[in-house]
Amino acid sequence: MAGKSRRSKTASRPSSKKQRKKPASTRPPRNWRKIAGYLLLAMVVGLSVYLGYLNHLINARFEGDTWALPSRVYARALELYPGLALTREQLEYELGLSSYLRVESQPLAGQYRRLGESVELHARAFDFTGERQSARLLQVFFDRGRVSALTDSRGGGDLKLFRLPPVIIGSYYPDNGEDRLLLSEDEIPQALVDALIAVEDRKFYQHHGLSPKSILRALLANLEAGRTVQGGSTLTQQLAKNMFLTPEKSLLRKINEAFMALLLELRFSKHAIVTAYINEVFLLQQNRIAIHGFARASRMLFRRSVEHLEPQHLALLIGMVKGPSRYNPFKSPEQATQRRNLVLKIMLEQGLLEAQPYAAASSAPLGIVDRLPGVNPFPAYLDLVKRQLRTGYSSDELARRGLRVFTAFDPLLQRNLELGLANGLRRFEQPELQAAVVITDYLSGDVLALVSDRETDFPGFNRALMAQRPIGSLIKPLLLYSLLQGDLTLASLVRDQPIRIRQSDGKVWEPRNYDRQLHGEMSLYQAFIQSYNLPFVTLGVDGGLEALAQNLARIGLLKHDVVYPSMLLGTTEMSAYEVAQMFQVIANNGYFTPLTTIRSVSDQQHRSLERIPLESHKLFDQARMIQVQRAMIGVAESGTASYLGQRFAGRKIAGKTGTTDSARDSWFAGFSQRLLSVVWLGRDDNQPINLSGASGALRVWSDIMQQQGFESFRLSRDGSLKWRNVNPLNGGIVQQSCANGVLLPFPQGRLPSRKSACP
Amino acid sequence: MSLIRFHGLLLLALLLSGCTLEQSYNQYQIPTRQNQPGQQGAVAELQRNAREALSRSDYQQAVEYLQRAIKIEPRNPRSWHYLAETYWRSGDNRRCIEMVERSFSYSSSADDLDHANQQLREICQQG
Repeated sequence: MAGKSRRSKTASRPSSKKQRKKPASTRPPRNWRKIAGYLLLAMVVGLSVYLGYLNHLINARFEGDTWALPSRVYARALELYPGLALTREQLEYELGLSSYLRVESQPLAGQYRRLGESVELHARAFDFTGERQSARLLQVFFDRGRVSALTDSRGGGDLKLFRLPPVIIGSYYPDNGEDRLLLSEDEIPQALVDALIAVEDRKFYQHHGLSPKSILRALLANLEAGRTVQGGSTLTQQLAKNMFLTPEKSLLRKINEAFMALLLELRFSKHAIVTAYINEVFLLQQNRIAIHGFARASRMLFRRSVEHLEPQHLALLIGMVKGPSRYNPFKSPEQATQRRNLVLKIMLEQGLLEAQPYAAASSAPLGIVDRLPGVNPFPAYLDLVKRQLRTGYSSDELARRGLRVFTAFDPLLQRNLELGLANGLRRFEQPELQAAVVITDYLSGDVLALVSDRETDFPGFNRALMAQRPIGSLIKPLLLYSLLQGDLTLASLVRDQPIRIRQSDGKVWEPRNYDRQLHGEMSLYQAFIQSYNLPFVTLGVDGGLEALAQNLARIGLLKHDVVYPSMLLGTTEMSAYEVAQMFQVIANNGYFTPLTTIRSVSDQQHRSLERIPLESHKLFDQARMIQVQRAMIGVAESGTASYLGQRFAGRKIAGKTGTTDSARDSWFAGFSQRLLSVVWLGRDDNQPINLSGASGALRVWSDIMQQQGFESFRLSRDGSLKWRNVNPLNGGIVQQSCANGVLLPFPQGRLPSRKSACP
Repeated sequence: MSLIRFHGLLLLALLLSGCTLEQSYNQYQIPTRQNQPGQQGAVAELQRNAREALSRSDYQQAVEYLQRAIKIEPRNPRSWHYLAETYWRSGDNRRCIEMVERSFSYSSSADDLDHANQQLREICQQG
């Protein structure tokens, strides 16, 4: 180095005049040499920077999160056990949602077959949070709408319980709309690697990223044809192009691609490169979602994992690499078949396939599903999950980190909800009528199913969460609880009489009953089941209003600091979701359990990030809440929802109707032994729908429950309550033999003493 | 009834011998129901798994099993009781009390569980 710099110093210094007079043509001027030196240096530096930059790009992708992976949202895992209410058809529906394929021979993982009235299914392996469950072959037997037995097909023994891996109900996609399932090196079948290399890059194991011969051959072929007819790219170049570069055809892009291919080969093993290729390559477009990688495409097209692909399936997928649009098997089945058969022929020529399987595969149908499953078919629920997740995760994390979100969503219940809602809405013939329905397990707080639009798969405004509407008489159960906190009992006499209230703004409020009639004196129970307004306003202004406000505040649903008398008639606005939370507490004997969709979250390595534990806060007195529940059963038996008593004779339901001014909102909230469902009907422009709670939402609620089936609601036993047969009209005690009396619960020490004739 | 009597005597003996409430609870074993068909069999299996996880001090796994049991049979007081105990052992007394209240609400006073619930509630309240 010292010598070089000395020479350079000498060369740059003028040595003598004689030399200076020498003609310039014999030696390049020193300036030129100097410039050439600098240029060379600049080129070396430039190339180094350029290669460093390319290397940085490669590092960023390969050593960071190589791919942005969509987060998956899972439904609840279906627990199979003898005694479970489940039909074969329901199990098959659930399996269909999980892309299980029905076969006739013994099922492989991800497949099932019918065996008489039973179903033999090969459940896939699954990583539940904290526990890996292996793939398992089992048989499920049915009898009269229930699972009658569960056996291990291999061991033959009875199983007490099996947790079916949950259905994916939706995904949060990256901005680029890419969807993929990743395969690790050892998960990729050798047959796929061999066939892919045979078709795309036969010299893959010989070259170092570039194949000059192939480039030359492609160049000649293209020149001869006058257009691009052949590509000379190696698999590594294709990977470089797909992962790092734009699809434009320019010289600069080709140069980048070549250098990147060389760098990739320098840095990574052949196996790693082919694995990345198999995960990266674009294969299919599904609406706005781009399906990348063989694993996802295989699941979508054939409902199979890659290890279960047969030669004709492999050949179709490999054929689609060349032109995902041109060889799309849905749009161009003939071209796709031709391409597939060409790939099969190459496999035969390369010794990857024997003659007989080749012949069978070439003549086989494409074997793809009838149509691709929809993207996010449950938008309302997915939106709710996202809102509840956002508190802990950013949108970017959701779209890129491949989180696994386990929810309480019940796809079987959702299907019944959607079918029941469609039936229910059909009867009204009002195209502008909108709907929101929330179904929860009130004992655990799980939100099981949700609809926020009459078109249930329409991903628009989430009415169930966002539409704030007055709730009308749905306030009355909590108001009744508030009144029972005072001296009143269900048998207390109340008056249905006119009332005028001067409000703080000086205006006079004169509430009326829904039927605009006056009904005189009656028991509080009777006023409740008939949903008469005037007795409740009268009692409310006497002290019930303050208690109601406090009780609403306990559940977190007191929306204003100022309390108005009109709140007694449900002018408070709530969403269907909030109403469901209010009734959750009522149905659950006063135990508040926050409604939730999410049960746990894990990362793509199946490490637990978050578990949402069961919460249960005792907010209200159980005995008092049982009295409210009893009155709500009365609503369904002989009150405003007596339609239920006729339709579901013999089964107990606790419920309450709600109607708002000028019949703009129609509500019904009701619960059985396990499920609480809230239905709202109304219009987005808030115009009257001319439906009361009883003539509108109640009917839809019934259609949904008819579809679903339910268990009768049973009141909890509570030692502090005494039961008496009472005349509902006046609250007086009647003889036990009086068939028209109603059995009502009373706290000890507040038993009614008045006697009455049997009504 | 004999079970209640037995546990009552055990409790008395422990108290007389100067044991703390916590020590006495630790002696108190509530048998898991076994060999039952159908839904109860599935629940009993999960309860058993939870007990095993609890004996390994794997509280998260125990909670997981018990929540599954509760999903299958939500009004089973035993599952709620075990859940309360799991929270107590993991140091979460607030949740312990909440779960024990739920267990109480589903158990009848004749249930041998009632006594264990009372003990557990006192322990968690003291903690």
